[in-house]
Amino acid sequence: MSLNVDRAGSAFTFKGGMLPMTVMELISADPERIREQLAGKLSQSPAFFQHTPVVLSVEKLDEPHLALERICAVCRAHKLLPVAVRGGADPVKQSAWALGLGWFPPQEERTRALESVAPSAPAEAPQPTPEIQGAVGSRIHRGTVRSGQQVSAPDGDLVVLGAVNAGAEVLAGGNVHVYGALRGRALAGIRGDREASIFCHELHGELLSLAGNYKRLEDIDPQLLGKAVQVRLNDDQLTITPLV
Amino acid sequence: MAKIIVVTSGKGGVGKTTSAAAIATGLALRGNKTVVIDFDVGLRNLDLIMGCERRVVYDLINVIQGEAGLNQAMIRDKRVDNLHILPASQTRDKDALSAEGVEKVLDALSKDFDYVICDSPAGIERGAQLAMYHADEAVVVTNPEVSSVRDSDRILGLLSSKSRRAEQNLDPVKEHLLITRYDPERVSDGDMLNLEDIQEILAINLIGLIPESEAVLRASNQGVPVTHDMKSDAGQAYTDTVSRLLGEDVPLRFHEYQKKGLLSRMFGGGRR
Repeated sequence: MSLNVDRAGSAFTFKGGMLPMTVMELISADPERIREQLAGKLSQSPAFFQHTPVVLSVEKLDEPHLALERICAVCRAHKLLPVAVRGGADPVKQSAWALGLGWFPPQEERTRALESVAPSAPAEAPQPTPEIQGAVGSRIHRGTVRSGQQVSAPDGDLVVLGAVNAGAEVLAGGNVHVYGALRGRALAGIRGDREASIFCHELHGELLSLAGNYKRLEDIDPQLLGKAVQVRLNDDQLTITPLV
Repeated sequence: MAKIIVVTSGKGGVGKTTSAAAIATGLALRGNKTVVIDFDVGLRNLDLIMGCERRVVYDLINVIQGEAGLNQAMIRDKRVDNLHILPASQTRDKDALSAEGVEKVLDALSKDFDYVICDSPAGIERGAQLAMYHADEAVVVTNPEVSSVRDSDRILGLLSSKSRRAEQNLDPVKEHLLITRYDPERVSDGDMLNLEDIQEILAINLIGLIPESEAVLRASNQGVPVTHDMKSDAGQAYTDTVSRLLGEDVPLRFHEYQKKGLLSRMFGGGRR
């Protein structure tokens, strides 16, 4: 139940928001070349291609007509989700709309000027790597995570300054750090990162999971309960070692 | 403007209504104009504990639906001048409570009273959420057992996310822990969770500790809030709790197990 909805008697509210969005700056309009490059990137950093929404920017292209439908199909085949097109002439706008995509006007002159200062920038668009994502998506939660609450940092580390109580769940794409008692569930490496670990001051966790491998409270050596520990993955086995 | 205090717990049967009645009575005895509202629509109990069940004509739902005025529905307590009771409906169900209606009632009461005490139903559904939504402070009633502590933890999570103060980014609801049915002897035997463990898990300020007491059952059945029974340990403990709610520094009592001496064993330990 949402009290807000009841109060207003309306089904939804509109809210302004600034969401981080990857822009795919097209330098070539040839779907085949795009496909080749995407296939290479996919093998390098598979974590990035998780149906990630992207905006296709065609500002650098001088072609009034684009094989937009084929380009979108190539993107989707590589688990990128085109949500909008930026720039381009009127036919591009019309075909974007026809494909159910949004259309943004070209970026302002100000950013153009910046790009001309660094001419190499568009050619080597920054490649998102798991490490950079981790730094960006990290999250610090101050206070106790209570029963029924879920705190997650899907793209980075999660730091909890407090306890995670029984019935609560903390999740991170990277590591989970609990500076307090861990009594609930902790899941690290939820996107398959096998290097992810869990750290806590006092181990009583209901469930510990690393990259899909898990241990229940029952499986944990009673000697380790209540200790400050780190949990790591060794050959698909969770290893719990006291922190000295 | 009144201070709105919700008495809540998640789990049922831990002593919410007893505590709401005792705290409201205590606040009124200290000269504060107080009203206590029963939010447990369909399972109304507060009127019994307050001993006014024979004087209920209109109820909260009648007021919300415009069938009666607030002054018609509120019952003046027979023992304390400053105390009023707004009973729940026994025949309707919780769907009859609307968010707008509750807001209107609380706004109106806030103008006339110093304290509005909301006696929450058990659970975490609509009724409980409406009871806590407008609260400035919350008294979370917890028994010394694991299921009660976990449910209190859940309620504390809801208070920090689903209350008006949370949604409007105001100062958070001031949370207080009230431990009831505490039996120091069973705690020392390890049958019950001890005070420190409960406090460590819930990590909120302790406002009071009410010992397990025969006086509570007696008070409920007589319809006299236990605060009036100043000879009993529970009555004194609730009075201490009220003092702490009013900002006074009162030392904790009744939490340590005292082995019975020879005399009290011979004469049955006296009245508890």
